Amino acid sequence: MAYPYVSDLEVRVISKYFGDPAHRRIDTYVERGGYKALEKALALEPDAVTDEIKASGLRGRGGAGFPTGIKWSFMPKEPTRPHYLLCNADESEPGTFKDRELMRWDPHQLIEGCLIGAYAIRAQHVYIYSRGEFFEVNQILARAVEDAYAKGYAGEDILGTGTTIDITVHQGAGAYICGEETGLMSSLEGDRGEPRVKPPFPAAVGVFGMPSTINNVETLAAVPHIVMNGGDWYRQWGTAKSPGTKLFCVSGHVQKPGNYELPLGFPLIDLIENVCGGIRDGNQLKAVIPGGSSVPLINAEDSSICMLDYEGCEEVGTMLGCASVIVMDHKADIVKQIRRMVDFYAHESCGQCTPCREGSAWTARILRRIEEGKGTEEDLDTLIEMTDQMVGTTICVLSDSVAAPVQSSINKFRDDYLELIRGGERAGAA
Amino acid sequence: MSDVPLKNPGWAGNTGEFDLTEEQIRGDDFVGERPLDGGHSSVSGTMPYMLIEKNPEAELFEGEYQERLKKILTRYPKKRASLLPVLSMVQEVRGHVSPESMDRVAELLDLSPAYVRGVTTFYTMYNKRPVGRHLVQVCTNISCNLCGADEVLAAFLRHTDTELGATSEDGDFTIIETECLAACGFPTCVQINSRYFENVTPVDVPKIVEHLRAQVEESA
Repeated sequence: MAYPYVSDLEVRVISKYFGDPAHRRIDTYVERGGYKALEKALALEPDAVTDEIKASGLRGRGGAGFPTGIKWSFMPKEPTRPHYLLCNADESEPGTFKDRELMRWDPHQLIEGCLIGAYAIRAQHVYIYSRGEFFEVNQILARAVEDAYAKGYAGEDILGTGTTIDITVHQGAGAYICGEETGLMSSLEGDRGEPRVKPPFPAAVGVFGMPSTINNVETLAAVPHIVMNGGDWYRQWGTAKSPGTKLFCVSGHVQKPGNYELPLGFPLIDLIENVCGGIRDGNQLKAVIPGGSSVPLINAEDSSICMLDYEGCEEVGTMLGCASVIVMDHKADIVKQIRRMVDFYAHESCGQCTPCREGSAWTARILRRIEEGKGTEEDLDTLIEMTDQMVGTTICVLSDSVAAPVQSSINKFRDDYLELIRGGERAGAA
Repeated sequence: MSDVPLKNPGWAGNTGEFDLTEEQIRGDDFVGERPLDGGHSSVSGTMPYMLIEKNPEAELFEGEYQERLKKILTRYPKKRASLLPVLSMVQEVRGHVSPESMDRVAELLDLSPAYVRGVTTFYTMYNKRPVGRHLVQVCTNISCNLCGADEVLAAFLRHTDTELGATSEDGDFTIIETECLAACGFPTCVQINSRYFENVTPVDVPKIVEHLRAQVEESA
């Protein structure tokens, strides 16, 4: 039985063993060439490892797409204080479900990536900040970490090289904002997960006040493969600016939802039609959110030309984000779905910044009013004006994430809003 | 957990076959429950967070839990960082984190009660009041919602005869809505205590509820 769905168009590098429970065992992992990249990395200078990652052009898979090698090179070269590597496994962006799969099917791949990353940035401690809801995933990950310690891949004097790297799996407690890097640091320190003002950047003052680097699970999962095969090898896939493969989490109204690993630059329409088997029940495509709930949604027309890489998505006015493709067919109620997403942001706003705390709550209320047929056309202008003030005015980008779906849906699906508003007016007059 | 056949009970390794056993779904090396003392200190913070048995009067930090606490404290350069894992442990033992429990944790970690209160109430997963033996959390966020999460939620309320957010009379169920559980490809995702149930449709709900009731009886 194959992993829920697979496609011939996939290039399975980090998802190769999805669906194979035996791969969770350390013996199987080592038999299949696991921990060889760690051995190779430990024989190199830390900076040589960073250079290899730089050469691969790997970009952060958490959403922002910042080049990983460059991020690592910001860390001090002569450590005077402890360094920390943080693995962001607090996956909670609506539409995203790749990190959970990476952790539960291939936990050792992540651990190996964490160890290599820690070595490259001269950190002696890795914290994997995982979601509290991931109970089962954390059990698997915990066993894998224990096994890695037992076999000498983690802890003191790794593989007799004198390098010491500890790993701690830390469990969150249900807060979306802890997926924001500085929010994650606050939370790891035992505080409310409130994001911090940057600068100072984590590489200077991070968790516990020490230099820190935060990488997404998928980023770190790709690291062993790049170290093993070289940066040029990784560049055989993807585009010049967005090299490599990426997991695409497809959800919503497609025949075969799931995780698909594809080269970056893959056409969105091919993903929907050929990889995922098209829209359910032979329906028409209406809208796509290509990068998780925080990015602008696009209509069917833009979807037909959208290329799935960081630049291609920008060309059609949206973002790749974490490549969580949410597909809606012509029966989808756009206003309801946007309202549901804004409810989510209103719930998850940490409350530090006024534009976000007040803006998200009021946006949700106005959208609910429209949904219930009590809205007016001016409400749409109010929404645009209000969400305009939520962009770039806060510590983190959660606030911007409210503006993106609201503004793009009003711009591209104004008729859906107007239908509800006019329907309500007619009902009121009658 | 029994081998009651359910569609995708918490494991997305299949795509709709109905009569799969636990073993077939999870594979031969699913870890199962971890030791109460937390195992290796590197992972002592990751533990079950919701059990069927919830005893608000239970002793905290005794026996194996004391061992676990010691291990957790070794993993962070600052004592305060242990707060989240310690609160999770309190919830595991007592089922929720009461103001009294918060004060006790504050004392233990040399923090002010107000600080601990502030942190506890920030995080959704800490139950601030007692919940039923099964805490049923239905994801109604966008991906699940597009695929009918509202109907699944309604079905749970109907079949357990409870109001949203309230606990059923027999104390077995508390049904709430939750935000994205990161299982968007397998809608609707429902988290019941510590476990995910995926690809749930309204038709599956009576079977799941029956399954959960049987579990309560088993544990009694």
